[in-house]
Amino acid sequence: MNVIEAVSLSKIYHRSRTQALSDITLTIGRGEIFTLLGRNGAGKTTFLRIAATQLMPSKGRISVLGHDVRDEPLQIRSKIAVVPQEGSTIGPLTPWDHVYLTLLARGISRNQAHERSEKTIERLELTEYRNQPADSLSGGLKQRVRVAMAVATDAELIFLDEPTLGLDAVTRRRIWGVLNEIQKEGRSILLTTHYIDEAEILSNNVAIIDHGKMVLSGSPAELLRNVKERVRVDIVGSTFSEEELNNYGRVVKLAERFRVLTDDRLGRELADEALKRGSDVGLARVSLEDLFVDLVGRAEE
Amino acid sequence: MSGAKQFRAAVVIGYMLSITWLRRNLLSLVWLFATPFSLLFIITVTTGGRSFALGVIGSLLLVLSTVGTGLAGDATWYRLETKLQDFFVASPVNQLGYLLGIAFAGLFFASPALVVLLPLLVYIGLPLIFLPVVLLSLVGVWLFSSAIGYLVSTFTSNLRNGWQSGLLLSVLVESYPQSSTPPRFCPATFYW
Repeated sequence: MNVIEAVSLSKIYHRSRTQALSDITLTIGRGEIFTLLGRNGAGKTTFLRIAATQLMPSKGRISVLGHDVRDEPLQIRSKIAVVPQEGSTIGPLTPWDHVYLTLLARGISRNQAHERSEKTIERLELTEYRNQPADSLSGGLKQRVRVAMAVATDAELIFLDEPTLGLDAVTRRRIWGVLNEIQKEGRSILLTTHYIDEAEILSNNVAIIDHGKMVLSGSPAELLRNVKERVRVDIVGSTFSEEELNNYGRVVKLAERFRVLTDDRLGRELADEALKRGSDVGLARVSLEDLFVDLVGRAEE
Repeated sequence: MSGAKQFRAAVVIGYMLSITWLRRNLLSLVWLFATPFSLLFIITVTTGGRSFALGVIGSLLLVLSTVGTGLAGDATWYRLETKLQDFFVASPVNQLGYLLGIAFAGLFFASPALVVLLPLLVYIGLPLIFLPVVLLSLVGVWLFSSAIGYLVSTFTSNLRNGWQSGLLLSVLVESYPQSSTPPRFCPATFYW
């Protein structure tokens, strides 16, 4: 069964008259981590807010957990939880207060709320800080508290709007670990991000959105089939000219380095040649980042 | 969630946003007591103590309308900065539960002042039989001013305007009507 089914979903904001979403059709399966990937302002948050019953669509249809967003928002709300984008914690409340009181407000019994809060605080490695006022916590810890508020609930579907925005690599990985654990419990997650590695590592399925339109969707492996090259060779301090590199494959200039997208054989040859000439060289499989830059960058041009 | 659970949610939200705050931020008590008790002090001193009872009633009204109109700023903060509104919209807590919750936060925030002023009202001679009427009137003032505060917050697109709207409402509701009332409508004890 699908947890979200959107058909030709569009949204136009009254004031700006901007088409924030245009004709989005997608489905998200139960127990899946589904990621909306796109640049800032691409329309990811608009889609998430519509699915989380916070915004009305202008056109199209969307059902969440079997209920239509327009007609049955209350039935949806009892089964979801959301971490809104760029929110903040509340002044002198401790991480424990945030999690425990949120659960009580959602109608969970005191004993259960206590048990769930303990488990979630531990799971997000907040035990050391559980009784410290949120004001005194670092940005990463505050974000972990906000994620904990949603994770601790019994929601079947959790919406996370850029939950790792601005966080360091270690904290991001910690949150990824928790999201994987939630998925193992059979819960579903709709995530928005503009971190491509996050989408690639975490997601069962990804939809790339640009200027309100869905450009591509599928599993990360399926998406990568849209890139005709197999490997990428990064050359720093290049002794190659751009023309020379063009013989090996498609060349992308990235600040002080060249990235050459090519096939396995030419990739290896180029890497060997670059090493011989004393350049720093990196050889890797093409990633979602290459596809994303290719798709979104092409649209921009 | 049932009606009883929604009410419980409102009380929890109110507690979360007020009592926990007060317990860890005692400085707030200075503001809480300063506002109503300054009025009580001025009225008592300027009337030579003859209008103490009116001063207590005025202070009660002032403290409740202040926390109500202050919701213009607070609700904006919950919506735009903490995103608490988004968090609770996408939860089993319904609109009324959330609205009542943030209004309760104001009421609970005012509770230390109420704990002093209400017994004072009885002490200075209000017959106990009238206490329910007084309480009902006070609840009416709290709900009405909170509703205005929340309504204004929904039209506010940035936090600074939210706080400013609260201050403006406070002047319109709490200062302007009183200061523009012709003296002949004032109780005789106000003449000196």
